[in-house]
Amino acid sequence: MDGVRSAEGLTEDRAIAADPGALTGAVGTLRSAHAAQRHLLRAIPGVRAATGGESPLERQPRDTELPHVIDAEGAEDATLRARPVTGPPVAAIRAFLDGTQRSEVIGWYGAVPLVYGTAGAVVRERVERRLVTWGRPSISHRIYAPLAYAPRAALEGALGAMVEDTTRPAPDGTIAPPHPTLLLERATLAVSRDRERLELALAEQWCASRGEPIMIDGGIGANEAVARSSCAVGVVKSHRTLYAEGDALSVVLGLARGERSSVIRVAPRGRSEVLSWYLRLRDTAGRDALWGLVRVEMSANVPTEITARADELSRWLLAESAPLAAPDPRWDRMAYGIRSAEEFLRATTG
Amino acid sequence: MTAPLGLVVATERAPNTPHQFQFWTAIDSPVGIGTIVRVDGRQPVDGHIPQVYGVVTEGFSYTDLASPLFDVLGHDGDPGQSAFAPTERAEVRLYSAAVLRHVPEEPLQPVPMGEVFLATEMDVAIALRMDSYLREDANTGIPIGLYRSGGMDSAIYLDAEFLVGPEAAHLNITGVSGLATKTSAVEWLLASLFAHFPEKKGSVAAVCFNVKGPDLCFLDQPAELDEEDRAMYDALGVPCEPFRDVHYFAPFKADNLSLNTLRSNEELLANVQPLTWGLTEVLQFAEVLLNRDDVDAKADALIDFIKERVLDRDFEDRVLTKPHRVRSFADLEGWFRDLLSGLEDRGDEHWRTHHVATIRKVRNRLSNISTRCAGLVTNDGHTSDLPWGHFADRAVYVVDVALAEEDAQDLIFARIVSKLREHLERRDLGVTHVVVFVDELNKYAPADGPETYVRKMLLDIAERGRYLGLVLFSAQQFRSQVHRRVVGNAGTALYGRMDGDELATPGYAVLSAATRTKLATLSKGQLMVRHPHFTQPIFVSFPRPAMMRGRDGVERYPQAADVPRDVGVLRQLRRFDPSLTLAWVQDVIGFYEDEDVLRALHATLAHAPDNAGAYFKAQFRKIVSASPAPAPARTPLRVLPDDDPYAI
Repeated sequence: MDGVRSAEGLTEDRAIAADPGALTGAVGTLRSAHAAQRHLLRAIPGVRAATGGESPLERQPRDTELPHVIDAEGAEDATLRARPVTGPPVAAIRAFLDGTQRSEVIGWYGAVPLVYGTAGAVVRERVERRLVTWGRPSISHRIYAPLAYAPRAALEGALGAMVEDTTRPAPDGTIAPPHPTLLLERATLAVSRDRERLELALAEQWCASRGEPIMIDGGIGANEAVARSSCAVGVVKSHRTLYAEGDALSVVLGLARGERSSVIRVAPRGRSEVLSWYLRLRDTAGRDALWGLVRVEMSANVPTEITARADELSRWLLAESAPLAAPDPRWDRMAYGIRSAEEFLRATTG
Repeated sequence: MTAPLGLVVATERAPNTPHQFQFWTAIDSPVGIGTIVRVDGRQPVDGHIPQVYGVVTEGFSYTDLASPLFDVLGHDGDPGQSAFAPTERAEVRLYSAAVLRHVPEEPLQPVPMGEVFLATEMDVAIALRMDSYLREDANTGIPIGLYRSGGMDSAIYLDAEFLVGPEAAHLNITGVSGLATKTSAVEWLLASLFAHFPEKKGSVAAVCFNVKGPDLCFLDQPAELDEEDRAMYDALGVPCEPFRDVHYFAPFKADNLSLNTLRSNEELLANVQPLTWGLTEVLQFAEVLLNRDDVDAKADALIDFIKERVLDRDFEDRVLTKPHRVRSFADLEGWFRDLLSGLEDRGDEHWRTHHVATIRKVRNRLSNISTRCAGLVTNDGHTSDLPWGHFADRAVYVVDVALAEEDAQDLIFARIVSKLREHLERRDLGVTHVVVFVDELNKYAPADGPETYVRKMLLDIAERGRYLGLVLFSAQQFRSQVHRRVVGNAGTALYGRMDGDELATPGYAVLSAATRTKLATLSKGQLMVRHPHFTQPIFVSFPRPAMMRGRDGVERYPQAADVPRDVGVLRQLRRFDPSLTLAWVQDVIGFYEDEDVLRALHATLAHAPDNAGAYFKAQFRKIVSASPAPAPARTPLRVLPDDDPYAI
C-alpha cells in the first residue's frame, strides 16, 4: 500500500515541480521523513537508513558568519541620528507572513548525506482582531542530495522533481567537495532558499491581490516585486550584520523605546535595494543593547516623504508590541502575528 | 450537510479511549457541559463508518501563553491596556466528552479521529438508546423533559419498563430545598406518567405523602403558566392541566372536628376526607409506635394475644365480670380495667401466663396511642380510610401528614404502604401500579441511625416493590445521607441544584468537576437525569407543573380558622349537602355531648349518604322524650266535713 501511495504521490510531485511554484502544494506526497526514508531504502540500493534520534540540522551547531558591521548610505539624514516616533501606535498591519523549515538526514549513501527538508510559509490575516490563515499555506517536502556524489539516475528516477541537487556547479564550474559537514550545510542552505522562495512568493501574491500592509518576517529584498511593493514591511530580528559604523552604531545601540534611527539604503549582494531603519520596540533597562531592536525594511519607492512613511510604519510596528509573542525567546522583537504564523506552520508541517 | 462543530483530537498524553474523547471547536460554537455530540469516523471498520455519540463533561480554554507573567509583561502591568492590543491571543476551546454509544457497538474501539457534529433530534434518540423503546408498536416512553442545545429542543423519554417496572423501577430526586425543584419535578413527572403510561401495562395511580407545608395540597388547582411552559407541554405531549382526579386525606386535629391540613378552606373540602383509624387498624402496626425498649418479648406476646384472641371477638374469661367484644380503644380500656380488677380481687399475679405487671404495661402503652395520635386514632373505633380495593386509574391520593405528630406520620406511612402492598399482592387494589411519593427521605430512610419500621418499609418497597407494581418516587436534600439500598435501587435518579458540600461527598466522584459545578448552579426547571438506558447523565429542562404551587394555594385558599363545634360540623356536612344551615346544625346537636356529636359526624362522613342531614340527625339517641310526660293523677282534695269543729 505504501508503494502505491508513494508512486501516486510522486506523480503529483513531478507535476507540481514543473509548475513555477514548484514547491507549493506537495502536501500529500512523502509528507513525512519516515515515508521518504522507506521509499529511498526500497528504491535505491546501497542507501543506509539514518538511525534517527538526531535533532534537526537547523538546531545543530555549525560555524556561521561572524557578526559584523557595515556602513550604509543615509536616505533621510546625512548623518544617522535618533528620531522619536511621534503619534500613538496604529494597528494598521493587516497580515503577517513567516516561514519555517526543518531538515533531517534520512539516509546515507556511503558518506553522502541524503536530507529530507520541509519548508513552509503562511500568511496570517487579522480579521476582527483574530488571526486566520489567508489562502492556503505553501509547504514543500523535498529530498536534498549531492547528486555529484550519489547515484543521480537512480535518485532522479525514484524521486523525480522532488530531489534537489546540492552540488550544482558554481559559475566557475567548481563543485563543492564531498566533505560531509559541508554537504549538510549546503543542504540546509538549499532548504532555506526554498523557504525564502515560498515566503516571497506568498508575499508577492498578497501584495498583488490585496495590497494591504503585510509584515514579513525578515528582509524583503530577495524578491524584486515584493521589494518594490509599498504594502510589504520587512522586520529583521537578527543583527549579525549591523548597518552602522562608528558614531552611527552608537546611535543605533543607544535608541530608546519608541525611537528609530534615520532611514538608510540597504542593498545586500544579490538583493534589491530597500530603505531601512532601526526601531526600538522595548525598554532596554537591565537588558543588552539589542533588546527590543528590529531593523525595518520598506520599498525604496516610497509613495510619500521618507520621514513621514518611516514614522508611519514605525507606529504600526510599535502597535504590534502587544500582545507579547512569549514564550518565544525572541519575544522582545517578534510580533505576535509572526509567532502565530510560525505556530501554524509548526502545527501543520510537524 | 451540516457543518462540523469541531474535530476530535488526541495526543499521546491525552489519548482517546472507547469511553472518552476530546475535541476542539471554534470559540463561538454552541457547545457546553451536557451537550450531546456525534463523531463521524473517517475510516470504515468492517465496512461501516463508525459513529460515536458522546456528552460533553468537561471544557477547557487556554491561550498560547506559557505563563500569566507574560500577559502581565505584555500589558506593562496595566489591565486597562488590554483593549489596545491589536490582536487577540490564539485561544482554544477544548472539550472532553464521555461516550454514550458506539454505532456499530462492536468492535468496541477507541473513539476515532473525525468530525464532531451537534446531535440532531434523531442522534439524541440513538445516543440515549431511546430508539429501543420509542418504537411505534412498543412505545414505552415517558417524557421527562427537553434536551436543549444549539437552538434545538429534543424530547427526552424514560422507559416505563425501567421507571415503574418490572425491569427496574423507582425514582429518586435530590436537590437543595427552597427551589421547589423536587416537588415540581415529581408533579410534572406524574402528569407525564399519567399521560403516557402504556395502556398495555395496565393502570396506575399515585399515593403522595405531603410531609411538609402545603406542597401537594393543591394538585387539582390550575397554575398560571407562561407561553414557554405551555410550549414545552405541547412538545412533550402532556396535557397542560392539573390532575383531574385527586383525593385528599388528612387526620383530624385534636378536637376531632377540624381536619389537620392546610387544605382546609371550605371551597376545597369536596375531595378532602378524614383519615381516622380505630383500634383494629392501629393494633396491626403497634410496633411502629411502641418503643422496643418498652415492649419486650413478654409484652409483645400479650399484644399478639389481644390481636388474635380479643380484638373484634366475643371474649369471656372467668376473671372478667362480663363478656367483652373489643372494637375500640374505649372497649379495650374497659377490657383492661375489668381484667385487672378481677386479678386484684382474686389476688392473682398471672393471667394466662401473662404477669400482671406486663398487663399493666401493655395497657399503659396501648392506651397512650390514642393520645399520641389524637386526631388520627379514634377512641370509638370509627374508621375513615383510603378506598382500598377501589383505587382509580390515573388518580392521585394525597395523604397530608404535614401537620401530624411524628408518631402519627410513622403510623400513617407504615399502614398505608403495607395495605398497598397487601392489595397489590392480591391484585385487588383497583389499579395494577401505584407510585408512592415520599419527600424528606433523609428523615424517613437515613443512612445511619436506629432501624425503624418506616425505613424497613421503604427498603422493602425499594428492593421488592417493582415486582408488585409498587413504585417509590422519593426525594431528599442530601442523597448521601439516605440509606444506600433505597437510593441504590432507584433505577432513575434526578438531580436538581445541589449543595456544594453534598457534591463533595464520594457519591459524586464519578461526575466531572464541570458537571458537578453545573449541578451546583442549575436553575429552576433544570435537572440532571440518570436512567438505565443512558450511559451518562443528561441535562434536561422541564416545564413548571400545571398544578398550583403550595405557597400560591395557601394565599388563594387560606387555611380555615379553628371554629366552634357547630360551625365545624356544618363545614363537614356541607360537603354532602350545601343547603344545610348553621341554625339547623345547632338545632340538631343542641345539648349533646361532644362525644355524641363526633360519633354522629364520623358515621356520616364514613357512609357519605345521599341525605347527609337526615343521616346525621338519625345518629343521635334521644335524650329528651318527644311525648309529654303523663300528667300525675290528681288526688282530689278531701272534702272537709261540714261538722268539723276546727275548721275555719
